Amino acid sequence: MPNAILDPTGRASRVPASAPGLDLALRRSDLAGARVGLMDNTKHNAALLLAEIGKLLASEQGATVTARATKANFAAPAPADLVERYRAACDVVLTGVGDCGSCSASAVADGIAFERAGLPAAVICSDAFVVTADAMAELRGAPGYHYLQTPHPVAVLTADQVRQRAKQLLPGVVEMLTAPR
Amino acid sequence: MTATTAPAPPDELDPDAAQAAIEYCYQQGWSDGLPLVPATRSLVEKFLAAAGRSRHEVIGRLPQLEREVTVELAAINAAMAGCLPEYFPVVLAAWEALMLERSTQGGGWQSTSGPAPLIVVNGPVRKELGFNSAGGVFGPGFRPNATVPRAIGLIVRNAYGIHPHELEQATQGLPGRWSICLAETEEESPWPPLAAEAGQAADASAVSATLLRTCEFVDNRHTGSAEQLLTDFADTIGRSGAWIFRYASAGIVFCPEHAQLVAGAGFDRAAVRQFLAERSGRSTAGLAAVGKDACDDNGVRGPGAGGSGDFQRMLPGDAAQHLLIAVAGARNAGISMVVRLFAGWSGTAVLVPVLRNTAASNKENS
Repeated sequence: MPNAILDPTGRASRVPASAPGLDLALRRSDLAGARVGLMDNTKHNAALLLAEIGKLLASEQGATVTARATKANFAAPAPADLVERYRAACDVVLTGVGDCGSCSASAVADGIAFERAGLPAAVICSDAFVVTADAMAELRGAPGYHYLQTPHPVAVLTADQVRQRAKQLLPGVVEMLTAPR
Repeated sequence: MTATTAPAPPDELDPDAAQAAIEYCYQQGWSDGLPLVPATRSLVEKFLAAAGRSRHEVIGRLPQLEREVTVELAAINAAMAGCLPEYFPVVLAAWEALMLERSTQGGGWQSTSGPAPLIVVNGPVRKELGFNSAGGVFGPGFRPNATVPRAIGLIVRNAYGIHPHELEQATQGLPGRWSICLAETEEESPWPPLAAEAGQAADASAVSATLLRTCEFVDNRHTGSAEQLLTDFADTIGRSGAWIFRYASAGIVFCPEHAQLVAGAGFDRAAVRQFLAERSGRSTAGLAAVGKDACDDNGVRGPGAGGSGDFQRMLPGDAAQHLLIAVAGARNAGISMVVRLFAGWSGTAVLVPVLRNTAASNKENS
């Protein structure tokens, strides 16, 4: 019998760690009075884009931004204590912008972590990183996880253009954070 | 037209079986694009014996991807890369040296900049294993220089699961990715080995490594002035193209001719670094012309007010961590390589254990 060829991935004998599938956190029917958390990832224009969407959520939906933070290490998913801080301070979270190889993947990981912590989340990624974002969703046991896409690039936009993007994204954000009617 | 044939191979070799096994490896998605050596248990055991370490030892973790690398997985990938078993201690040292780099613990392997490891080998192991330290040191033609970095690339691909177009998002990627491994030409270098500068004994076999953003050579063969030569390096190092944060770190792989000229004028490594730290950079006006004169709160460069003639230094300081200096290449021309570090360099070198008798250690490892 010929020699077996060895598998270099270490995955052959592995059972998937987490059962596939993600139960999304329970949604409210609207965002009136909702406490909104913003978590940007240091990427250029990310904080501004989230802040602008936050303003629109306040003026048009009656929500209040109650927490905002910058995830210092954009390459890695948010540490558990940061997720917990948002859980304590907010009803929904908005995060992004996935605008690079590692940060798009970790933004999706964050969205999934928020959902598992019971917080409805909307993740924003540049549309150039869909494949890596989807690959991370699969890794986290949530294949097909939905996030919001915005056309690439984001970093070169002027402040006015960022405000335009915020307006374009708003309906999708609201839809993602609320229960279907 | 008839094909010429090499001397007949021994009868027991079966090229058809070899080809089928190679195709199997492609079909599994394990390959970097080139043929792999199919790894068998008996071959991998030789690698493990050469390293003399527990096969279960975890030598790398990427928590964000829930993946880890054991000595055994590294051995399988090194065998597939075409390494000989006796190269495996060098692969492990190179991997461990890379693990000491902050960038490899974060998003470096997934980055749009598509960085390449730079691996520098010092000490007797260079000659024992036949590493090239002379002509064409960045190029192909030498099995250890080619297969050790390829093994690193396969570990990232297979054990970490970072594939191009998926979790790996290189926009273009760096030429030389997974192929830059050079031995320092200690015999021609006027300075102590790089590993000695990183704290190891002067005669130690050791590996230093970091990630590169890009490379560009300085061809200067007609000046006898160390200051003119170093000023040429300062100009290349200070280019704005790859400079995206407040500061950027670099390195130089000097050819022997340049290193000897500079050392002959009294420069040791520290003096070279000091000279270059003061002179590498651009004026604020020059940076404004390319939209990189200001830094935001995260230290990322972008357009600012511009205008001023102030000189902005590129290197964050004159420590070895910010300007790695090695010597390699032929002593036939004044051509040296400027490399740009993805982040900094840890300034460390990892020892390669003295090679063991494979047969003896096979027993104790089983």
